[in-house]
Amino acid sequence: MADREAVKRHMARLIRQPVERIDDAARLTDLVAESLLLVEMVIEMQEQLGVRLVQEDLKDVQTVGELTRLFEERS
Amino acid sequence: MATQMGENELWLLSFYRTSEIGGALFFGRLARSMKQGANQRDMSKHFADEAQHAWLWTSCIERLGAHPLKLTDAYQDQYLAAAGLPVNLMEVLAVTQIFESRVINQYARHQRASGLHPIVGETLERIMEDEKWHVEWVRRALRAMEPEYGKERIEKTIRHFREADEEVYRKTILEHEERVAHLADVMARTRGEEPKDGR
Repeated sequence: MADREAVKRHMARLIRQPVERIDDAARLTDLVAESLLLVEMVIEMQEQLGVRLVQEDLKDVQTVGELTRLFEERS
Repeated sequence: MATQMGENELWLLSFYRTSEIGGALFFGRLARSMKQGANQRDMSKHFADEAQHAWLWTSCIERLGAHPLKLTDAYQDQYLAAAGLPVNLMEVLAVTQIFESRVINQYARHQRASGLHPIVGETLERIMEDEKWHVEWVRRALRAMEPEYGKERIEKTIRHFREADEEVYRKTILEHEERVAHLADVMARTRGEEPKDGR
């Protein structure tokens, strides 16, 4: 099971940001302004963490904290 | 050199160009991060094709004595805003299947437009060859994903994106009605009418 910090490290590497910037409260669309980069990041994180998500899973996900929690629960 | 097309035709060809660029950037990103295998190879060809189509439209517009307009939003942007972002490869391919079918239909209708300039016709014909392959490889890849995702979920996903596409396309056509009026049957179908020539 991947813990939240591991998920954040993956995220930071993929979007080329320091992990310190990956704050739980940050909105994903502020952190990753370009929507296609967000798609790429979520797909790549699933590959790396062995998780499979569908669109409905992310319906209510707005922040980094919500996304990392989802990956933590599913991995 | 004097331009050989009107403002609306220039807008439409520029819109095609912008959408091809959007497709190339999207598939290019995905091709970079995909696992090795047939999908990686086909996605790489797909994004190379889209980039070439953007070049073909650029060249077409220039041969007609104009320069492409800088348009901010590609069709894909409006589409993904309405349908939501795909979050796995199956969903990406489902979006792609719907989108490519839309592109083929739109280009085919443009090919049938009266007074089509031969340079535009030549460009459409060239691009259509690739578009047919795009639909084929995506359909094949989605079928191969059935054991992993389930046939029912894949079909449900395709339905979801198709519904979004129909809505966005209708809005796009109505928003730009004047610009695409020369593609008369597109307008008729958008209004739910049968085209006069029965196509």
